[in-house]
Amino acid sequence: MKTLLATTLLVLSLVAAPLQAQEDTIRVGMSGQYFPFTFVEQDTLKGFEVDVMNAVAKEMGREVEYQTAAFSGLFGMLGAGRIDTVANQITITEERQKAYTFSEPYVYDGAQVVIKQGNEDINGVEDLKGKTVAVNLGSNFEALLRNLPYADEIDIKTYDSNIERDTALGRVDAFVMDRVSASQIIKEKPLPLELAGPTFSQITNAYPFKDTEEGRALRDEVNAALSALRDKGTLREISEEWFGTDITAP
Amino acid sequence: MGALDVDYMLGLVPVLLGYLPLTLQLASLGMVLALILACLFAVIRVLRIPVLNQFTIVFISFFRGTPLLVQLFLFYYGLPQLFSALTVIDGITATIMGLTMHFSAYMAESIRAAIVGVDRSQTEAALSIGMTNGQLMRRIILPQATRVALPTLMNYFIDMIKATSLAFTLGVTELMGATQKEASGSFLYFEAFIVAAVMYWIVVEMLSWLQSNLESRLNKAYSR
Repeated sequence: MKTLLATTLLVLSLVAAPLQAQEDTIRVGMSGQYFPFTFVEQDTLKGFEVDVMNAVAKEMGREVEYQTAAFSGLFGMLGAGRIDTVANQITITEERQKAYTFSEPYVYDGAQVVIKQGNEDINGVEDLKGKTVAVNLGSNFEALLRNLPYADEIDIKTYDSNIERDTALGRVDAFVMDRVSASQIIKEKPLPLELAGPTFSQITNAYPFKDTEEGRALRDEVNAALSALRDKGTLREISEEWFGTDITAP
Repeated sequence: MGALDVDYMLGLVPVLLGYLPLTLQLASLGMVLALILACLFAVIRVLRIPVLNQFTIVFISFFRGTPLLVQLFLFYYGLPQLFSALTVIDGITATIMGLTMHFSAYMAESIRAAIVGVDRSQTEAALSIGMTNGQLMRRIILPQATRVALPTLMNYFIDMIKATSLAFTLGVTELMGATQKEASGSFLYFEAFIVAAVMYWIVVEMLSWLQSNLESRLNKAYSR
């Protein structure tokens, strides 16, 4: 009975914890499931996004509070004011610009088709006709696929995570993601995958904010920090550490 | 057939154990609240209290008739859209709300059945010797109903522990969420999920043992 009471009190205290973040904290959402941008190892949140956001927050003189959730839930959290921005390789698109305001881009990348090693049938995006392709739900890559002129001939399967796995297992013929992390997964992880053809769409990624007075003020603050970090060479350093190349400049 | 990375699995055990308390807290709190709610519903249904009875019937019908995941998304993503003040419902709160309402709907029916299952002649006997309704419930019906309902309620609790794994979709990192994140960083899916599966399994086994202990204690009065 005592433990039950203690548990109840503990949970109640958790539930009652103040949701309104401190003035000087920036609340950042990420999936924690997008190697090597945001991932977890031995309970520690790591990745390019974490390093960049830590540097940005330090530059702004703020604390960072990370909140992880499934990718498809992140924009819902941003819209509901549960987080201030998303650090998850969010690509700037017309659709999203209608709903959010974006910081300056801090990653320049391309969309990439990835296949199981030894798959001779697919050598680029035009070979996806009649194939089953995995993509992250709500991601820009899903939109890119759906906007292809022959989209109705592709069987698009949306996932919240683990698209690399299903491709390696041969359950789907290919997945579409950004070139940078796809290359990194192929290099470092035990999955039999390979890139198929060149990138088929250039993408620029930035931090989305709510299009409100507060959101725009925070965006300007983040922009100032990003350009300071760019001038210092910090962005380039972080990128080279993770990818061996600079993906933070066009 | 690849080899299993045993070192990785062993390294994961302490990490994932750290998330077990949250899983158990979500389930315990959900269970306590669901029990309270379910008892209320059961009494309302047994006594057929007007208006409340109709409300309870609709409530139970809705929460039994829709998937738990849909309910969680309604509380967490849906309500704040209608009433912006409801952003105060964070992932943990929404999970506990969802578990409470979903499982109380099921439990209300099994508690009601247990109460109704106590033979009517006992009620008549109790009332004829001048017991009040409250005394009748406390002394005659509930002790017997508890014994009947216990196995079913325990089953719901076990179900609830496993249902907490849906909380990850609301951004709550409990045991399943932590496992999913570790797995998508290492790409060692089998290793990660088998460790989590065994943890859930051990917890449920411990509860089953507790249940049989409780049952034999409750049955003492009835054994001949």
